[in-house]
Amino acid sequence: MSLALLMSGCAVTSTDSGDDGSTGSDELGGSITIACGAMEDWCQAMTTAFTAETGVQANFVRLSSGETVARLDAARDNPEFDVWHGGPVDGFGAARDAGLLEAYDSPNAAAIPDKYKDADHYWTGVYVGALGFCSNTKVLDELGVDVPESWEDLLDPKLKGQISTAHPSPSGTAFTTLWTQVTRLGGEEEGLEYMKKMHNNVLQYSKSGTAPGQIAGRGEVAVGLVFSHDCVKYQEEGLTDLTVSFPKEGTGYEIGGVALVKGSKNKTAAQAYIDWTLTAEAQNIGPTVGSYQVLTNPDAAVDDRMVKLEDVEFVDYDFVAAAAAKPGLTARFDAEIAAQPKE
Amino acid sequence: MTISNATVPRARRFSLRSRETPLDLTTRIAVVLVVLILGVLIVLPLVNILSSAVSEQGLAVFNSIFSSVNLQVLQNTVVLGVLVGAIGTVIGFLLAYVQVRLDFRGKKLLHLLALLPIVSPPFAVATAVITLFGRSGIITRDLLGITPTLYGLPGLTIVLSLSFFPAAYMNMLGLMRSLDPSLDEAAASIGANKWRTFVTVTLPMLVPGFASSFLLLFVEAIADLANPLVIGGDFTVLSSRAYIAITGEYNVGAGAAYSLVLLLPGLLVFLIQRYWATRKSVVSVTGKPAGRPAVITSIPARIVLLTLSGLLALLIVTIYATVIVGGFVKILGINNEFDLSHYRYVLSGIGSDAMITTTALALIATPIAGVLGLVIAWLITRKLRRGRALIDFLGMLGLAVPGTVLGIGYALTFNKPLGFGNVAILPALAGGGAVLGGAIAIVMVYVIRSSPSGQRSGVAALQQIDVAIDEASASLGASGVTTFRKVTLPLIRPALLSGLIYAFARSMTTLSPIIFITTPQTKIMTSQILSEVDAGRFGNAFAYCTILIVIVMSVIGLLNLFVRDSSVPKAAGLSSATIN
Repeated sequence: MSLALLMSGCAVTSTDSGDDGSTGSDELGGSITIACGAMEDWCQAMTTAFTAETGVQANFVRLSSGETVARLDAARDNPEFDVWHGGPVDGFGAARDAGLLEAYDSPNAAAIPDKYKDADHYWTGVYVGALGFCSNTKVLDELGVDVPESWEDLLDPKLKGQISTAHPSPSGTAFTTLWTQVTRLGGEEEGLEYMKKMHNNVLQYSKSGTAPGQIAGRGEVAVGLVFSHDCVKYQEEGLTDLTVSFPKEGTGYEIGGVALVKGSKNKTAAQAYIDWTLTAEAQNIGPTVGSYQVLTNPDAAVDDRMVKLEDVEFVDYDFVAAAAAKPGLTARFDAEIAAQPKE
Repeated sequence: MTISNATVPRARRFSLRSRETPLDLTTRIAVVLVVLILGVLIVLPLVNILSSAVSEQGLAVFNSIFSSVNLQVLQNTVVLGVLVGAIGTVIGFLLAYVQVRLDFRGKKLLHLLALLPIVSPPFAVATAVITLFGRSGIITRDLLGITPTLYGLPGLTIVLSLSFFPAAYMNMLGLMRSLDPSLDEAAASIGANKWRTFVTVTLPMLVPGFASSFLLLFVEAIADLANPLVIGGDFTVLSSRAYIAITGEYNVGAGAAYSLVLLLPGLLVFLIQRYWATRKSVVSVTGKPAGRPAVITSIPARIVLLTLSGLLALLIVTIYATVIVGGFVKILGINNEFDLSHYRYVLSGIGSDAMITTTALALIATPIAGVLGLVIAWLITRKLRRGRALIDFLGMLGLAVPGTVLGIGYALTFNKPLGFGNVAILPALAGGGAVLGGAIAIVMVYVIRSSPSGQRSGVAALQQIDVAIDEASASLGASGVTTFRKVTLPLIRPALLSGLIYAFARSMTTLSPIIFITTPQTKIMTSQILSEVDAGRFGNAFAYCTILIVIVMSVIGLLNLFVRDSSVPKAAGLSSATIN
C-alpha cells in the first residue's frame, strides 16, 4: 500500500521534488545498496526494517573501513554502492578527501548534536563508541595481573604476548587506538613510541577491529583493545569471562557515520535511507541485535548495557586531523612497528 | 612434454605431416579461443594492475623493496611456501601411496578423509586448530596443560599444509594409478628388492607429480590471504602486506607493486618445475597399466605406512569433528551446551541465499574451467611447439596471481563497460551496478582460479601417455578431435575427474579474490563465513562450513557418477579398474 501511495504521490509532486537535480528517479522505489561497516546482524536488521518501512529494496555488503574505501575507489566511475553506513568516520574522512562521497544535509540531521556531524555535511554520526580494554578475568588471574586501568598497565612485562589489537591499516578501531596515543602523548613520534613499547606485548595485529574482543574472550590473550560495545556484545553471546575497563588517562572514541556515495544511481532512495538512519526509531534497532553503541539521536532509547559517556575520560579526538594523517601514519606503523621483531 | 628417444623421429614426422591436414585448423581455432579467453580472464586484469603498479605510489614500493622490512617479508613468504610445499607434498604422497599400494580395511574412508580438506572453506581448519591447539585449546590446555603460541610460522605451516595437501594427494593418486605396474614387476624379476624398485623405478616416474604438487602447494601457500590474517601473528607475508596496502592504506599502487613481487617466487618455481620435470619424466609406453599395482605385503612397511596415515586421519577427523560439533554447541570449549541457534541463523535469510547463489555459480564455472584446463593441457602437450610455454604460462597465471590482486584487478577492469574508444565490447560485469548483479565476474574468477588445476593434472596425465597412441589413431584415419575424444580423453579421465572435482571445490571455497567483487545481490558463502569469523561468532562459521562441506561432497559424489557413466564403453573396463 505504501508503495502505491508513493507511486501516485510521485506523479503529482514530480515537479516540486525535482529540486535535487536528479531527474527521473524521484519516486521512492527500486533498490539501494549499502556498504555496511558494523556487525553483520546489525546491518541485516537495519536494511530489513528500512525495506519494510519504505518498500525500497535495501541490500548490503559488510565491509571494513579500508575495504570500503578501496572498493569505492576502484568503482569510482560506476559506483556499486549508494550509502555507506557504520564504521568510524576517520575512514569516511579519507573517502571524502579522495572525492568518493557527496555532501548531503539531511533534514533529520538537525536533531543530531553538532559534535557528531561533519561541518560540510559529508557524513552524519549515527552512533558513538568508546575505546576500552576488553579483558579476560580468568587469564588475568592466572597471570597474576589486575584488570588494566591505564595505558601504562598494558606495558607490564607479565602481559608479554597477551594483548590483541587490530592493525590500524584495515581496521578503523585500531586506528582509533593509534590516534588516541598520538593525541594523548602530544605528537606522532610520541604516539608511535608508545605503540613500539606495547608491540612487545602484542600477540598479533588482526585485520578486523572486533576480533581482539573474541580472541580475549576465548582466552587466547588476556586483553583485547576494542570498542566497549563490541566487548559487551561478546559477553552477551556467551564469552562470560570478559570484563570492560577504561584507561584513566583518557581514551579515544568513534563516531559511526552514514554518508551518501558520489554518483549514486538511486539518490532519492539513498537520501531517504540516510534520513531514516538518523531517526530514533531506526537507531533503536541496534540494541535489539546486541549492538550497544551510544546512539546519536537524543530521543533514542538508552540501554543499561551502553557505556555512560560521562563516566569515561576521553582525549580530545580530532576527526579531521585523524583522517588527514591516516595514510602516512598507518604506513609508518606498518614499517616501523608491525614488522619489527619483538624483544 | 617429453618423448622417449625412440619416438622422437616419428613424432617429428607426424607433426610435419599434420601441418598440412585440416586437423591443424581445429588446433588453430582452439589456440585462438584459448588465447582470447585467457586474455580477458587474466591478462586484462593484470595489465590494469600493472599500470597501477607503475604509478607513483607503486614505484615508491619498488624503491624500498630491498629495505630490511620488505626483505624480511619476502623471506617469510618464501620460507612459508617451501615448508608448506614440501610438507603438503609428502603428506599427499604418503596417503596416495597407501591408497594405491596397500590393502586394508577403511581404505575408502581414508580416501574420503584425504579429500575432506579440499572441500573446507578457508578458516575452517584455522578456527578449528585454534579451538583445539591454541593457548586455550581443548587439547593443548584442557588435556595436556600446555599453552603453545600458534600464531606465526608454526600455526601457518600446520594450517596451510593441512588445507592444501589434498591437491598433492589427488595429483599423486591420479599419476600412480596410471603408472604401469609391469615396470615394477620387471625390476623385481631382474632381482631388485622392493626398496630398490621403489627408489629407482617408482620414484623417478613420480617426479613430474612431485614437482607439480610442490608447485601447486607453493603458490597456493604464498598466495593465501585468509589464514595469514587469522593466524599469522607478526609473521607478515607478501599477500597480507599487499592486502593491508590496498585495503588499509587505500594504496592500490603499492598493493599492486607488492603483488608483482609476490608473482616472482611463483614464476621462479614454475620455471624450475618445468625444467626439472621435463628432464626426468618417464613415459609409460602403453599409456595405461595392464593390471593393478602390486600390493605391499612387507609387515614393517605396512606398520610404518599405516601408522603414519592413521595419525593423519585422526588429526583430520578431530579437526572436522570440531567444525561439526562447533556448529551445534553454544561456544565450543567454553560453553558446550547443545544449541541450534547457529543453524537457525545460517539457514534463514542471507545464509540460504548465499548457499544457493554460491552453488549455482560454482556449478556453472566448473565444466568451463575443466574443459578450459584440459584443452590447454592437450594443446601444450600434444599440439603446440612454438608458443607452448606461453600458453602454459598464461594458463597457470590464474593460480600464480594472488587472489587479492586478481580481485582488485577484476574490480578495476570489469566495473565499467569494456571497450576501445567509444565502442563498448562488454558491459560492466563486476560490482553491484553490473548485469546480473556482478555474478558474471564471480563465475569468471572461479573459472580462472580453477582451470590451472585441470591444466596441471591434464598435463601430468598426458605426459604419461606416449604420443605413439595418438599416432596410431591418426594413421587409422581419425581426425585430431576424434583422436582426442575417443583415445586421449578416456585415458586421462581420472585426471579430468580430479580436475573437475578440484575446480568445483575450489570455486566453492575461494575467498580472497571474491572479497573485492561480492555484491549485495550475489552473496557468496565464503565471504559470509569471513564475516562470522571476523565477528568472532565461530559457531555460525562452523555451521556455515559444515553446510558448505555437505554441498561440495554431494556434488563430488554426483560428478563421480556422471563422469564414470559418460565414458566411452570400450574404455570403461580399463578405467573403472584404475579409478577404484
